[in-house]
Amino acid sequence: MAETADAAEQIIDESERLRANVYALLARFLARPPDQATLAEAAGWAGDDTDFGKAVSRLAKSAAGADPKTVKEEYEALFIGIGRGELLPYGSYYLTGFLNEKPLARVRQSLRELGVERDPANKDPEDHIAALLDVMVGLILGTFRGGADLAAQKQFFDDHIEPWADYFFKDLEKAKTADLFKALGSVGRAFMAIENTAFEMA
Amino acid sequence: MSKRDKDGTSNRRDFLKLAGLGTVAGGAALVSGVKPAKADGLRADGSQGYRETEHVKTYYKLARF
Repeated sequence: MAETADAAEQIIDESERLRANVYALLARFLARPPDQATLAEAAGWAGDDTDFGKAVSRLAKSAAGADPKTVKEEYEALFIGIGRGELLPYGSYYLTGFLNEKPLARVRQSLRELGVERDPANKDPEDHIAALLDVMVGLILGTFRGGADLAAQKQFFDDHIEPWADYFFKDLEKAKTADLFKALGSVGRAFMAIENTAFEMA
Repeated sequence: MSKRDKDGTSNRRDFLKLAGLGTVAGGAALVSGVKPAKADGLRADGSQGYRETEHVKTYYKLARF
């Protein structure tokens, strides 16, 4: 074969694409306040009877009734605040009690090994939950070098997400300043459980 | 591919299909919303954005000892 494999042409199984979708949706809600378009999209989702589906339905219902300005305030209260939000969605914080700790160094090391550079416009540490979820999208779709490698996904998930993400999503479900984001927490928890189980089948 | 590998893979696929992940897809709409990297390596979905750069790979290759 003369040409090198183009990641965009790699055949990704539909069920794997669906995982990437969910990671992308979680990342979108957590990276910045969800905008009108995102809320409108979420409002259209119809969950089925699974734990995940029921959580999605709750999120859709919240999104349908949501005013983007209010959601922005909710996001800021949760994650920004004055100095800090109610929650600190960083691996270092959940794993050590402090920001910018060894878990962040380990994420950076993994990113180096993957040959991945962070968009320099983004100032947030790479162990922010949205950043980690974003990496999973890239790993699943094969946009980083090495293509769509399930073992690499499992490695990254086990090293940097699994140890703390469920605790974070649980905190989100219970957060005082959360409303719509409670439902997002539920979606996150349900999805993390699915990922854990599915990786065992890899 | 051994029979065991084949069964393992189809179990995973079946499990994922039954897990309800498609509920956020709404058909083709959301799948198309998650795009592979554009030519310049920047992701199109508006989240944090990772990219792979030649100079980064070279740097880290040289730094390894």
